[in-house]
Amino acid sequence: MIILYDYELSGNCYKVRLLLSMLNVSYEKKAIEFYPAAEHKTDAFLSINALGQLPVIQTGDLTINDSHAILVYLARQYDKSDTWFPISDPVRLAQVTQWMCFADSLTSSASSARLVNGFFYDLDGEACRQEAHRLFRIFDEHLWFNEREDHLWVVPGKTPTIADLACFAYVVLSEEGGISRMDYPAIRRWTDRVKRLAGFVVMPGVFPAGPGPVHVLPANDTFPSAGTAEA
Amino acid sequence: MIDLEAARYRWHPVASSTDLVPRHVFQAQLLGREMALWRADDGNVNAWENRCLHRGVRLSIGINDGRELVCQYHGWRYANRTAGCTYIPAHPADAPARTICNNTYPAVEKHGLIWSGEKPDGQIPSLDVLDTTSITPLRGVTINVPLENIALPLIDYYSSGQRGASGDSVVHYGADTPDPFLLILHAHGHLHTSANAQAVDTPTPDIAFFFQPLDAARTAVRGVLCGVDEHNIGSAALIALLKQHSFMLCRARDIIESGHRDKPVPTPWTPYIPKVSDRHASMPPLTSAGQQAKLRVRLSAIENLSPSVKTFRFQALNTQIESAAPSVLPVAQPGAHIDIHLPNGLVRQYSLINGPGQTDHYAIAVKRLDDSTGGSHALHDSLKVGDVLATSVPRNNFTLRRDAEHTHLIAGGIGLTPLLSMARALDHSNLPFTLHHFIATETDAINRAELENMSAAVHWHVGQDVQQTQDTLSALLDAPTEHHHVYICGPGAMLGFTRETAATRGWADESIHFEYFKNPDVVDDSSEFNVELARSGLSLQVPAGKSLLSVLREHNVGVQSSCEQGACGTCRVEVLEGEPDHQDVYLSDTEKAQGNCLMSCVSRARSKRLVLDL
Ligand SMILES: N[C@@H](CCC(=O)N[C@@H](CS)C(=O)NCC(=O)O)C(=O)O
Ligand code: FES
Repeated sequence: MIILYDYELSGNCYKVRLLLSMLNVSYEKKAIEFYPAAEHKTDAFLSINALGQLPVIQTGDLTINDSHAILVYLARQYDKSDTWFPISDPVRLAQVTQWMCFADSLTSSASSARLVNGFFYDLDGEACRQEAHRLFRIFDEHLWFNEREDHLWVVPGKTPTIADLACFAYVVLSEEGGISRMDYPAIRRWTDRVKRLAGFVVMPGVFPAGPGPVHVLPANDTFPSAGTAEA
Repeated sequence: MIDLEAARYRWHPVASSTDLVPRHVFQAQLLGREMALWRADDGNVNAWENRCLHRGVRLSIGINDGRELVCQYHGWRYANRTAGCTYIPAHPADAPARTICNNTYPAVEKHGLIWSGEKPDGQIPSLDVLDTTSITPLRGVTINVPLENIALPLIDYYSSGQRGASGDSVVHYGADTPDPFLLILHAHGHLHTSANAQAVDTPTPDIAFFFQPLDAARTAVRGVLCGVDEHNIGSAALIALLKQHSFMLCRARDIIESGHRDKPVPTPWTPYIPKVSDRHASMPPLTSAGQQAKLRVRLSAIENLSPSVKTFRFQALNTQIESAAPSVLPVAQPGAHIDIHLPNGLVRQYSLINGPGQTDHYAIAVKRLDDSTGGSHALHDSLKVGDVLATSVPRNNFTLRRDAEHTHLIAGGIGLTPLLSMARALDHSNLPFTLHHFIATETDAINRAELENMSAAVHWHVGQDVQQTQDTLSALLDAPTEHHHVYICGPGAMLGFTRETAATRGWADESIHFEYFKNPDVVDDSSEFNVELARSGLSLQVPAGKSLLSVLREHNVGVQSSCEQGACGTCRVEVLEGEPDHQDVYLSDTEKAQGNCLMSCVSRARSKRLVLDL
């Protein structure tokens, strides 16, 4: 049985809960109270992860920390379709890795802004927000052009990868750090698509999507000159 | 600065047509106002105020179910096109009045974009000077700079021969700005793709940039390419072209933003958002009808306060209120009352005299009245400690404001009870108040020691006859004082006199709060009328001799009630059409004159027909 050391409000833990649920892997949660008790800095927890960070999983003798390392492990170990972490395709594998690193930069910007707002961290919230907006602009453009080529996910291809889940958590929680996604329509559509994946689960602050197609784009972007109506 | 007022009458682009994918809600902004844009399954585009009528939650996080938009918070639903609210979970009839609608804005599609506006009265800008056989929208780009600062640097950027991701631009543009919201670039020359030495010419279409004023400090640039036919150039070339322009627009954006960095932040534009009434926008109580007996309480103590007044203290036996831990009773505000279902079958209302925050018991004070219709006798004579009774949850139709500069509490006899809980709350919060207690004899001065200990001035007026009482009241209400509020509870005649005096002296209706023990007037139920229920779609006949409330009940329309004699305010119903015949003593004269609600237990109709919000 997998044990997940978990904090309900943590986006990094949420990434892991999402993949566990989407892969239909059963596990047990051990709640670590990150705030206000700071249980992740107690001796008991530091003996599990010297970094004092969540999430961590344990299974048998194995202990893995870092949300992205855990995603890689779970995908290789439990994904029968072998699509979440595409090791046989060097290009896609590189792209997955690239976007996982991008997701880490969301942890130090969008997530940090949320720590300032919700958990009273002593960081420069405004600088975190600015950096998050810079990253969101790049991410939105990337997703917008993916949509143009009928690619629905972060890494071009037919199926989502762990890069989608890695990026999803702190994007979808960004409003809690005071980062509006209004200027990023392609990001907003992509979050709808992730929410419609089988096995998707919510966490506090994340709303479910209603039923709908994962994605539909008009056949082409070119419009006839006549407007449909004019008042 | 753009002319904000004129801009309200224009059409503006708010999204690309391709932004509105099925079952999605797009978050837009125009002139500082947020909009929720969504395409229904029938293709219709809705542009609505981005807020739920219930709690103001953004509808852009809601669910587009193809026909309706559903708020994520409490599930209020709004219909495609009308934005009429179609459903309020847990509402008595599970459906709101047809009259509750979110604010909508016009939305049309043209040039591959969605256009909207606050009250647009002109035409959508035409691109007739350009080749519009086909139009390709570029990726919209937001620039965090006010609209009037964008066109010039953008022209500079485009006309200075920029290097793009896919080629060297040797295109020269001639610029044309017909108005502050539109920039047209006429292309001269060609763009080659350096990737291909044979220089397959990439088309160099003319471009129209529409500027969308998001708010005072931010602008979206929505460009469209004119005359590029995807079928001729192929989709790869089209995407390359889109990428080229997206790259250029992002670079231009960065330049424009950094050039604007030290400029002062403009004053925000605050959109006016028309509101729906509070009653419509508040969560209705859970479905319930009639005199509810939700709680079971045990009589835990009886105490004599005076020869004729006893207090009764009740403790929770069990509770059906889910969240309340055992032995905790639902909290009551000062002025609240409960219905007590007495062993003899009577249901009576008693004000709680609890102090602030007491949830471990309910306390009432009851005077044994000789003309009582049985309530005080049942309590005084037949109840014993340990008896179990059913009560309603507390209801408050006599709410205490906590923002008054001074509060005057005026009690006649046992009418002290709701005012006692108010005095306890005011004293606890150190809010200034005065209490006048009119009593027949000294022995009626209940809780005197406690009241004397309070910081407020407390006056007992003992043994005054009608004239003396009226003189005292007249002196008290001599001249209206702003931000003073008067709360009065006592016999009907005393209340009637106080209300009249206050009105003639110029006190505003809103500053005089009263609670009757009972309705002193005789109800005239000789009229006949029709009622239509807007939400349930029923049409009912109320015959002479029957109350509106009882007819509603016969048709299973849930309306809460308590006193059922027009004194307590619980059975209030909103009137949408028709003229009510008010027979209650609960509503103020102003409220009665407004005619938009009535007490369904006693009031009837002057007109032949009433339309009710039920
Ligand atoms: N790179 C790590 C970062 C994990 C992380 O920052 N976790 C947060 C909770 S969401 C934490 O435990 N922070 C405490 C710390 O870094 O001291 C991962 O992706 O798992
Ligand atoms: S805020 Fe929308 S249903 Fe309550």
